[in-house]
Amino acid sequence: MEFFTNILSIFQEHGTAFLEATWLTVSITAVSLLIATLIGVVVAGLKLSSIKLLNLIADLYIGIIRGTPLIVQIMFLYYGIANFIMLDSFTAGAIALGVHSGAYIAEIFRGAIQSIDKGQLEAARSLGMPTTLAMRRIVFPQAFKRAIPSLGNQFIIGLKDSSLVAYISVTELFNTALSAQGENYMPFETYFVVGIYYLILVLIFTQIMNRVERKFDVNRPKKVKVA
Amino acid sequence: MIQVKQLSKSFADLEVLKNIDLEVEKSEVVVLIGGSGSGKSTLLRCLNFLEIANSGEILLNGKSIDDKTNLNKVREKVGMVFQHFNLFPHKTVLENVMEAPIYVKGVDKQKAKQQALNLLEKVGLKEHVHYYPDHLSGGQKQRVAIARSLAMEPDVMLFDEPTSALDPELVGEVLQVMKNLAEEGMTMIVVTHEMGFAREMADRVIMLADGVIIEEGHPDEFFTNPKHDRTQRFLKQIL
Repeated sequence: MEFFTNILSIFQEHGTAFLEATWLTVSITAVSLLIATLIGVVVAGLKLSSIKLLNLIADLYIGIIRGTPLIVQIMFLYYGIANFIMLDSFTAGAIALGVHSGAYIAEIFRGAIQSIDKGQLEAARSLGMPTTLAMRRIVFPQAFKRAIPSLGNQFIIGLKDSSLVAYISVTELFNTALSAQGENYMPFETYFVVGIYYLILVLIFTQIMNRVERKFDVNRPKKVKVA
Repeated sequence: MIQVKQLSKSFADLEVLKNIDLEVEKSEVVVLIGGSGSGKSTLLRCLNFLEIANSGEILLNGKSIDDKTNLNKVREKVGMVFQHFNLFPHKTVLENVMEAPIYVKGVDKQKAKQQALNLLEKVGLKEHVHYYPDHLSGGQKQRVAIARSLAMEPDVMLFDEPTSALDPELVGEVLQVMKNLAEEGMTMIVVTHEMGFAREMADRVIMLADGVIIEEGHPDEFFTNPKHDRTQRFLKQIL
Protein backbone atom coordinates (compact mmCIF):
# COMPACT_ATOMS: atom_id res chain seq x y z
CA MET A 1 0.00 0.00 0.00
CA GLU A 2 2.80 2.35 0.86
CA PHE A 3 4.24 1.65 -2.57
CA PHE A 4 1.15 3.07 -4.27
CA THR A 5 0.97 6.17 -2.12
CA ASN A 6 4.64 6.77 -2.82
CA ILE A 7 4.06 6.42 -6.54
CA LEU A 8 1.17 8.84 -6.30
CA SER A 9 3.31 11.36 -4.48
CA ILE A 10 5.98 11.08 -7.18
CA PHE A 11 3.41 11.94 -9.79
CA GLN A 12 2.16 14.84 -7.68
CA GLU A 13 5.61 16.26 -7.06
CA HIS A 14 7.40 15.47 -10.32
CA GLY A 15 4.57 14.90 -12.78
CA THR A 16 5.25 18.04 -14.80
CA ALA A 17 8.98 17.46 -14.76
CA PHE A 18 8.50 13.94 -16.09
CA LEU A 19 6.19 15.22 -18.80
CA GLU A 20 8.73 17.78 -19.97
CA ALA A 21 11.44 15.17 -19.66
CA THR A 22 9.46 12.77 -21.86
CA TRP A 23 9.33 15.43 -24.52
CA LEU A 24 13.11 15.91 -24.28
CA THR A 25 13.74 12.16 -24.48
CA VAL A 26 11.51 11.87 -27.53
CA SER A 27 13.02 14.88 -29.27
CA ILE A 28 16.67 14.03 -28.62
CA THR A 29 15.96 10.47 -29.78
CA ALA A 30 14.22 11.71 -32.92
CA VAL A 31 17.03 14.11 -33.83
CA SER A 32 19.73 11.53 -33.11
CA LEU A 33 18.00 8.81 -35.14
CA LEU A 34 17.60 11.19 -38.05
CA ILE A 35 21.34 11.90 -37.92
CA ALA A 36 22.02 8.18 -37.50
CA THR A 37 19.94 7.19 -40.51
CA LEU A 38 21.63 9.76 -42.74
CA ILE A 39 25.05 8.62 -41.56
CA GLY A 40 23.95 5.01 -42.02
CA VAL A 41 22.99 5.56 -45.66
CA VAL A 42 26.22 7.37 -46.47
CA VAL A 43 28.52 4.96 -44.64
CA ALA A 44 26.77 1.89 -46.11
CA GLY A 45 27.45 3.48 -49.50
CA LEU A 46 31.11 3.96 -48.61
CA LYS A 47 31.39 0.34 -47.49
CA LEU A 48 29.83 -0.98 -50.68
CA SER A 49 31.90 1.28 -52.89
CA SER A 50 34.57 -0.26 -55.07
CA ILE A 51 37.00 2.48 -54.05
CA LYS A 52 39.36 1.10 -51.40
CA LEU A 53 39.92 4.45 -49.64
CA LEU A 54 36.19 4.89 -49.07
CA ASN A 55 35.93 1.36 -47.64
CA LEU A 56 38.78 2.22 -45.30
CA ILE A 57 37.08 5.41 -44.09
CA ALA A 58 33.87 3.48 -43.40
CA ASP A 59 35.73 0.68 -41.58
CA LEU A 60 37.61 3.20 -39.49
CA TYR A 61 34.42 4.99 -38.46
CA ILE A 62 32.54 1.80 -37.66
CA GLY A 63 35.56 0.35 -35.86
CA ILE A 64 36.06 3.36 -33.59
CA ILE A 65 32.40 3.84 -32.78
CA ARG A 66 31.69 0.20 -32.09
CA GLY A 67 34.93 -0.15 -30.20
CA THR A 68 34.31 2.55 -27.61
CA PRO A 69 31.51 2.96 -25.04
CA LEU A 70 28.70 5.36 -25.82
CA ILE A 71 29.09 7.12 -22.48
CA VAL A 72 32.73 7.87 -23.36
CA GLN A 73 31.63 9.27 -26.72
CA ILE A 74 29.01 11.46 -25.06
CA MET A 75 31.42 12.77 -22.42
CA PHE A 76 34.09 13.35 -25.05
CA LEU A 77 31.79 15.41 -27.23
CA TYR A 78 30.49 17.52 -24.35
CA TYR A 79 33.41 17.91 -21.94
CA GLY A 80 36.33 16.52 -23.94
CA ILE A 81 36.29 19.00 -26.77
CA ALA A 82 34.88 21.91 -24.75
CA ASN A 83 38.19 23.75 -25.06
CA PHE A 84 37.80 23.86 -28.85
CA ILE A 85 34.08 23.81 -29.43
CA MET A 86 31.52 24.39 -26.72
CA LEU A 87 28.37 22.50 -27.70
CA ASP A 88 25.22 22.87 -25.65
CA SER A 89 24.25 19.65 -23.93
CA PHE A 90 21.30 18.81 -26.19
CA THR A 91 23.36 19.28 -29.36
CA ALA A 92 26.33 17.32 -28.01
CA GLY A 93 24.01 14.56 -26.83
CA ALA A 94 22.07 14.33 -30.08
CA ILE A 95 25.24 14.24 -32.18
CA ALA A 96 26.90 11.64 -29.94
CA LEU A 97 23.81 9.41 -30.00
CA GLY A 98 23.41 9.88 -33.75
CA VAL A 99 27.04 9.18 -34.61
CA HIS A 100 26.88 6.13 -32.37
CA SER A 101 23.71 4.58 -33.82
CA GLY A 102 24.89 5.56 -37.31
CA ALA A 103 27.63 2.93 -37.22
CA TYR A 104 25.16 0.18 -36.43
CA ILE A 105 22.59 1.41 -38.92
CA ALA A 106 25.26 1.54 -41.64
CA GLU A 107 25.91 -2.15 -41.05
CA ILE A 108 22.18 -2.90 -41.12
CA PHE A 109 21.80 -1.14 -44.49
CA ARG A 110 24.91 -2.76 -45.92
CA GLY A 111 23.77 -6.22 -44.87
CA ALA A 112 20.30 -5.65 -46.28
CA ILE A 113 21.62 -4.46 -49.64
CA GLN A 114 24.04 -7.38 -49.87
CA SER A 115 21.28 -9.83 -49.02
CA ILE A 116 19.33 -8.96 -52.17
CA ASP A 117 19.80 -11.70 -54.76
CA LYS A 118 22.32 -10.76 -57.45
CA GLY A 119 19.77 -11.89 -60.02
CA GLN A 120 17.69 -8.81 -59.23
CA LEU A 121 20.42 -6.44 -60.35
CA GLU A 122 21.18 -8.66 -63.35
CA ALA A 123 17.55 -8.73 -64.43
CA ALA A 124 17.32 -4.96 -64.14
CA ARG A 125 20.53 -4.45 -66.09
CA SER A 126 19.45 -6.96 -68.73
CA LEU A 127 16.48 -4.66 -69.36
CA GLY A 128 18.85 -1.80 -70.11
CA MET A 129 18.77 -0.11 -66.72
CA PRO A 130 21.95 1.72 -65.78
CA THR A 131 23.31 0.42 -62.47
CA THR A 132 22.34 3.51 -60.47
CA LEU A 133 18.75 3.35 -61.70
CA ALA A 134 18.62 -0.38 -61.04
CA MET A 135 19.87 0.17 -57.48
CA ARG A 136 17.36 2.94 -56.86
CA ARG A 137 14.31 1.27 -58.40
CA ILE A 138 14.96 -2.40 -57.75
CA VAL A 139 17.58 -3.12 -55.07
CA PHE A 140 17.11 -0.34 -52.49
CA PRO A 141 13.34 -0.73 -52.03
CA GLN A 142 13.76 -4.45 -51.38
CA ALA A 143 16.75 -3.87 -49.12
CA PHE A 144 14.90 -1.23 -47.13
CA LYS A 145 11.99 -3.57 -46.55
CA ARG A 146 14.38 -6.23 -45.34
CA ALA A 147 16.14 -3.73 -43.05
CA ILE A 148 12.98 -2.59 -41.24
CA PRO A 149 12.96 -5.15 -38.40
CA SER A 150 16.65 -4.60 -37.55
CA LEU A 151 16.21 -0.89 -37.99
CA GLY A 152 13.30 -0.90 -35.53
CA ASN A 153 15.44 -2.82 -33.09
CA GLN A 154 18.27 -0.32 -33.42
CA PHE A 155 15.85 2.58 -33.00
CA ILE A 156 14.59 1.11 -29.73
CA ILE A 157 18.16 0.72 -28.51
CA GLY A 158 18.72 4.35 -29.51
CA LEU A 159 15.68 5.46 -27.54
CA LYS A 160 16.88 3.71 -24.40
CA ASP A 161 20.50 4.78 -24.89
CA SER A 162 19.33 8.38 -24.84
CA SER A 163 19.14 7.96 -21.05
CA LEU A 164 22.94 8.29 -20.99
CA VAL A 165 22.78 11.98 -21.90
CA ALA A 166 21.49 12.45 -18.34
CA TYR A 167 25.18 12.64 -17.45
CA ILE A 168 25.71 15.75 -19.52
CA SER A 169 22.76 17.41 -17.80
CA VAL A 170 20.12 17.05 -20.49
CA THR A 171 17.01 17.01 -18.32
CA GLU A 172 15.43 14.05 -20.05
CA LEU A 173 13.66 11.17 -18.30
CA PHE A 174 16.56 9.50 -16.57
CA ASN A 175 18.11 12.79 -15.49
CA THR A 176 14.77 13.80 -14.03
CA ALA A 177 14.55 10.50 -12.17
CA LEU A 178 18.03 11.02 -10.76
CA SER A 179 17.15 14.41 -9.37
CA ALA A 180 13.71 13.30 -8.17
CA GLN A 181 15.03 10.41 -6.08
CA GLY A 182 17.65 12.78 -4.68
CA GLU A 183 14.83 14.88 -3.33
CA ASN A 184 12.29 12.26 -2.28
CA TYR A 185 14.63 9.47 -1.10
CA MET A 186 12.42 6.92 -2.82
CA PRO A 187 14.81 5.29 -5.34
CA PHE A 188 12.71 2.14 -5.66
CA GLU A 189 9.50 3.92 -6.65
CA THR A 190 11.24 6.64 -8.70
CA TYR A 191 13.23 4.26 -10.88
CA PHE A 192 10.15 2.08 -11.16
CA VAL A 193 8.18 5.05 -12.51
CA VAL A 194 10.86 6.12 -14.97
CA GLY A 195 11.09 2.51 -16.15
CA ILE A 196 7.37 2.59 -16.91
CA TYR A 197 7.84 5.79 -18.93
CA TYR A 198 10.51 4.15 -21.09
CA LEU A 199 8.43 1.00 -21.44
CA ILE A 200 5.43 2.96 -22.71
CA LEU A 201 7.57 4.90 -25.20
CA VAL A 202 9.09 1.66 -26.50
CA LEU A 203 5.68 0.02 -26.82
CA ILE A 204 4.30 2.96 -28.79
CA PHE A 205 7.35 2.91 -31.00
CA THR A 206 7.08 -0.85 -31.56
CA GLN A 207 3.51 -0.37 -32.75
CA ILE A 208 4.63 2.28 -35.24
CA MET A 209 7.39 0.03 -36.58
CA ASN A 210 4.97 -2.88 -36.93
CA ARG A 211 2.73 -0.71 -39.04
CA VAL A 212 5.61 0.40 -41.22
CA GLU A 213 6.63 -3.23 -41.66
CA ARG A 214 3.11 -4.24 -42.67
CA LYS A 215 2.92 -1.38 -45.12
CA PHE A 216 5.98 -2.65 -46.96
CA ASP A 217 4.90 -6.27 -46.90
CA VAL A 218 3.50 -6.91 -50.36
CA ASN A 219 2.70 -10.48 -49.45
CA ARG A 220 -0.29 -9.48 -47.45
CA PRO A 221 -1.78 -6.96 -49.82
CA LYS A 222 -5.24 -5.56 -49.97
CA LYS A 223 -5.73 -7.31 -53.26
CA VAL A 224 -7.31 -10.66 -52.63
CA LYS A 225 -6.18 -13.65 -54.59
CA VAL A 226 -8.83 -14.72 -57.06
CA ALA A 227 -8.37 -18.29 -58.10
CA MET B 1 21.94 -10.19 -86.57
CA ILE B 2 24.52 -11.38 -84.03
CA GLN B 3 28.07 -12.24 -84.92
CA VAL B 4 30.54 -13.59 -82.41
CA LYS B 5 34.16 -13.73 -83.39
CA GLN B 6 36.88 -15.54 -81.48
CA LEU B 7 35.20 -14.91 -78.15
CA SER B 8 37.10 -16.06 -75.04
CA LYS B 9 36.22 -15.76 -71.41
CA SER B 10 38.06 -16.88 -68.29
CA PHE B 11 37.21 -16.72 -64.63
CA ALA B 12 40.56 -16.44 -62.86
CA ASP B 13 42.51 -19.44 -64.20
CA LEU B 14 39.48 -21.22 -65.57
CA GLU B 15 38.99 -20.86 -69.30
CA VAL B 16 35.24 -21.11 -69.82
CA LEU B 17 34.95 -20.07 -73.47
CA LYS B 18 37.68 -20.67 -76.03
CA ASN B 19 37.62 -18.75 -79.30
CA ILE B 20 33.91 -19.11 -79.96
CA ASP B 21 32.67 -18.19 -83.45
CA LEU B 22 28.95 -17.94 -83.89
CA GLU B 23 26.57 -16.25 -86.25
CA VAL B 24 22.84 -15.98 -85.72
CA GLU B 25 20.53 -14.74 -88.47
CA LYS B 26 17.41 -12.70 -87.98
CA SER B 27 14.45 -14.88 -86.96
CA GLU B 28 16.69 -17.83 -86.38
CA VAL B 29 16.12 -20.06 -83.35
CA VAL B 30 19.38 -21.46 -82.04
CA VAL B 31 19.46 -23.98 -79.23
CA LEU B 32 22.66 -24.33 -77.20
CA ILE B 33 23.21 -27.60 -75.43
CA GLY B 34 26.04 -29.07 -73.46
CA GLY B 35 26.88 -30.49 -70.09
CA SER B 36 27.33 -28.63 -66.86
CA GLY B 37 30.35 -26.33 -67.12
CA SER B 38 30.43 -26.48 -70.91
CA GLY B 39 30.19 -22.67 -71.09
CA LYS B 40 26.71 -22.40 -72.61
CA SER B 41 25.33 -20.08 -69.95
CA THR B 42 28.47 -17.99 -69.94
CA LEU B 43 28.22 -17.58 -73.71
CA LEU B 44 24.66 -16.34 -73.32
CA ARG B 45 25.66 -13.95 -70.55
CA CYS B 46 28.47 -12.58 -72.70
CA LEU B 47 25.96 -11.82 -75.44
CA ASN B 48 24.17 -9.25 -73.31
CA PHE B 49 27.32 -8.26 -71.49
CA LEU B 50 26.38 -9.44 -68.02
CA GLU B 51 29.80 -11.01 -68.40
CA ILE B 52 32.46 -9.16 -70.31
CA ALA B 53 34.52 -11.40 -72.57
CA ASN B 54 38.29 -11.28 -72.20
CA SER B 55 38.89 -11.21 -75.93
CA GLY B 56 37.07 -11.46 -79.22
CA GLU B 57 34.38 -9.42 -80.81
CA ILE B 58 30.59 -9.27 -80.74
CA LEU B 59 28.67 -7.52 -83.52
CA LEU B 60 25.03 -6.64 -83.18
CA ASN B 61 23.23 -5.73 -86.41
CA GLY B 62 26.62 -5.39 -88.07
CA LYS B 63 27.93 -2.96 -85.49
CA SER B 64 30.87 -3.97 -83.35
CA ILE B 65 30.38 -3.49 -79.63
CA ASP B 66 33.48 -2.07 -78.00
CA ASP B 67 34.53 -0.06 -74.95
CA LYS B 68 32.82 3.04 -76.29
CA THR B 69 29.45 1.40 -76.86
CA ASN B 70 26.80 2.18 -74.26
CA LEU B 71 26.07 -1.30 -72.98
CA ASN B 72 22.76 -0.22 -71.50
CA LYS B 73 21.56 0.60 -75.01
CA VAL B 74 22.75 -2.80 -76.21
CA ARG B 75 20.95 -4.60 -73.39
CA GLU B 76 17.72 -2.83 -74.29
CA LYS B 77 17.86 -4.67 -77.59
CA VAL B 78 18.95 -8.03 -76.18
CA GLY B 79 16.30 -9.51 -73.93
CA MET B 80 17.22 -12.12 -71.35
CA VAL B 81 15.15 -14.70 -69.54
CA PHE B 82 16.76 -16.30 -66.49
CA GLN B 83 16.50 -19.75 -65.00
CA HIS B 84 15.24 -18.32 -61.72
CA PHE B 85 12.94 -15.72 -63.31
CA ASN B 86 14.34 -12.83 -61.25
CA LEU B 87 11.03 -11.00 -61.18
CA PHE B 88 10.94 -7.89 -59.01
CA PRO B 89 9.10 -9.15 -55.90
CA HIS B 90 8.11 -5.69 -54.66
CA LYS B 91 6.22 -4.92 -57.85
CA THR B 92 3.04 -6.40 -59.26
CA VAL B 93 3.07 -8.42 -62.46
CA LEU B 94 1.92 -5.37 -64.38
CA GLU B 95 4.53 -3.12 -62.75
CA ASN B 96 7.24 -5.67 -63.51
CA VAL B 97 6.45 -5.41 -67.20
CA MET B 98 5.97 -1.62 -67.22
CA GLU B 99 9.12 -0.80 -65.23
CA ALA B 100 11.78 -0.78 -67.94
CA PRO B 101 9.76 0.85 -70.74
CA ILE B 102 8.88 3.74 -68.41
CA TYR B 103 12.17 4.23 -66.61
CA VAL B 104 14.61 3.21 -69.34
CA LYS B 105 12.87 4.19 -72.55
CA GLY B 106 10.76 7.00 -71.13
CA VAL B 107 7.54 5.59 -72.55
CA ASP B 108 4.37 7.35 -71.40
CA LYS B 109 2.73 5.51 -68.46
CA GLN B 110 -0.61 4.89 -70.14
CA LYS B 111 1.09 3.60 -73.25
CA ALA B 112 3.39 1.37 -71.24
CA LYS B 113 0.41 0.00 -69.34
CA GLN B 114 -1.49 -0.80 -72.52
CA GLN B 115 1.53 -2.50 -74.02
CA ALA B 116 2.11 -4.46 -70.81
CA LEU B 117 -1.51 -5.61 -70.73
CA ASN B 118 -1.25 -6.76 -74.34
CA LEU B 119 1.93 -8.70 -73.63
CA LEU B 120 0.51 -10.28 -70.50
CA GLU B 121 -2.54 -11.35 -72.45
CA LYS B 122 -0.24 -12.85 -75.03
CA VAL B 123 1.51 -14.99 -72.41
CA GLY B 124 -1.85 -15.93 -70.91
CA LEU B 125 -1.69 -13.93 -67.71
CA LYS B 126 -4.36 -11.31 -68.25
CA GLU B 127 -6.10 -12.41 -65.05
CA HIS B 128 -2.97 -12.03 -62.94
CA VAL B 129 -1.79 -8.54 -63.73
CA HIS B 130 -2.31 -7.23 -60.18
CA TYR B 131 -0.72 -10.19 -58.43
CA TYR B 132 2.65 -10.02 -56.78
CA PRO B 133 5.23 -12.54 -58.06
CA ASP B 134 5.18 -14.51 -54.80
CA HIS B 135 1.59 -15.49 -55.54
CA LEU B 136 2.39 -17.03 -58.90
CA SER B 137 3.52 -20.52 -59.87
CA GLY B 138 6.94 -20.96 -61.44
CA GLY B 139 5.49 -21.29 -64.90
CA GLN B 140 3.48 -18.11 -64.47
CA LYS B 141 6.54 -16.29 -63.16
CA GLN B 142 8.59 -17.30 -66.16
CA ARG B 143 5.86 -16.15 -68.52
CA VAL B 144 5.83 -12.77 -66.77
CA ALA B 145 9.61 -12.64 -67.14
CA ILE B 146 9.25 -13.26 -70.87
CA ALA B 147 6.64 -10.50 -71.15
CA ARG B 148 8.90 -8.18 -69.16
CA SER B 149 11.73 -8.75 -71.62
CA LEU B 150 9.47 -8.38 -74.64
CA ALA B 151 8.25 -5.03 -73.33
CA MET B 152 11.60 -3.54 -74.34
CA GLU B 153 10.96 -4.71 -77.92
CA PRO B 154 14.27 -6.55 -78.20
CA ASP B 155 15.83 -7.65 -81.47
CA VAL B 156 16.89 -10.93 -79.95
CA MET B 157 15.83 -12.95 -76.91
CA LEU B 158 18.26 -15.02 -74.85
CA PHE B 159 16.86 -17.83 -72.72
CA ASP B 160 19.11 -19.26 -70.00
CA GLU B 161 17.58 -22.63 -69.05
CA PRO B 162 14.13 -21.07 -68.79
CA THR B 163 12.39 -24.27 -67.69
CA SER B 164 15.08 -25.87 -65.50
CA ALA B 165 13.69 -24.51 -62.25
CA LEU B 166 10.12 -25.51 -63.00
CA ASP B 167 8.02 -28.42 -61.81
CA PRO B 168 7.62 -30.82 -64.73
CA GLU B 169 3.94 -30.08 -65.25
CA LEU B 170 4.69 -26.35 -65.66
CA VAL B 171 7.32 -26.71 -68.35
CA GLY B 172 4.82 -26.98 -71.19
CA GLU B 173 3.16 -23.60 -70.68
CA VAL B 174 6.50 -21.81 -70.84
CA LEU B 175 7.64 -23.74 -73.90
CA GLN B 176 4.34 -22.91 -75.59
CA VAL B 177 4.96 -19.19 -75.11
CA MET B 178 8.45 -19.63 -76.53
CA LYS B 179 7.10 -21.53 -79.52
CA ASN B 180 4.60 -18.77 -80.25
CA LEU B 181 7.42 -16.29 -80.07
CA ALA B 182 9.56 -18.29 -82.47
CA GLU B 183 6.67 -18.58 -84.88
CA GLU B 184 6.27 -14.81 -84.85
CA GLY B 185 9.83 -14.58 -86.10
CA MET B 186 11.68 -13.61 -82.94
CA THR B 187 15.40 -14.25 -83.05
CA MET B 188 16.12 -16.58 -80.15
CA ILE B 189 19.14 -18.18 -78.55
CA VAL B 190 18.06 -20.81 -76.06
CA VAL B 191 20.08 -22.77 -73.56
CA THR B 192 17.92 -25.72 -72.61
CA HIS B 193 17.74 -29.39 -71.86
CA GLU B 194 14.29 -29.64 -73.46
CA MET B 195 15.23 -31.69 -76.50
CA GLY B 196 11.63 -31.81 -77.65
CA PHE B 197 11.65 -28.05 -78.01
CA ALA B 198 15.00 -28.17 -79.79
CA ARG B 199 13.82 -30.81 -82.22
CA GLU B 200 10.59 -29.02 -82.99
CA MET B 201 11.59 -25.36 -82.99
CA ALA B 202 15.32 -25.00 -83.50
CA ASP B 203 16.77 -24.00 -86.84
CA ARG B 204 20.11 -25.03 -85.50
CA VAL B 205 21.40 -26.95 -82.51
CA ILE B 206 24.86 -26.22 -81.16
CA MET B 207 26.75 -28.51 -78.83
CA LEU B 208 29.30 -26.95 -76.50
CA ALA B 209 31.87 -28.87 -74.53
CA ASP B 210 34.72 -27.40 -72.47
CA GLY B 211 34.11 -23.96 -73.91
CA VAL B 212 34.31 -25.03 -77.53
CA ILE B 213 31.59 -25.58 -80.14
CA ILE B 214 32.13 -29.21 -81.03
CA GLU B 215 29.17 -29.77 -83.29
CA GLU B 216 26.25 -27.93 -84.84
CA GLY B 217 23.54 -28.69 -87.28
CA HIS B 218 19.87 -28.81 -88.13
CA PRO B 219 18.00 -30.75 -85.44
CA ASP B 220 16.91 -33.49 -87.87
CA GLU B 221 20.49 -34.27 -88.66
CA PHE B 222 21.86 -33.40 -85.23
CA PHE B 223 19.63 -35.70 -83.23
CA THR B 224 19.47 -38.65 -85.61
CA ASN B 225 23.05 -38.69 -86.65
CA PRO B 226 25.36 -36.90 -84.20
CA LYS B 227 28.95 -37.02 -85.42
CA HIS B 228 31.00 -36.23 -82.36
CA ASP B 229 31.21 -38.98 -79.79
CA ARG B 230 30.78 -36.47 -76.95
CA THR B 231 27.52 -35.35 -78.52
CA GLN B 232 26.43 -38.98 -78.83
CA ARG B 233 27.21 -39.62 -75.19
CA PHE B 234 25.50 -36.42 -74.08
CA LEU B 235 22.35 -37.14 -76.04
CA LYS B 236 22.24 -40.69 -74.74
CA GLN B 237 22.39 -39.41 -71.18
CA ILE B 238 19.75 -36.77 -71.59
CA LEU B 239 17.20 -38.51 -73.82
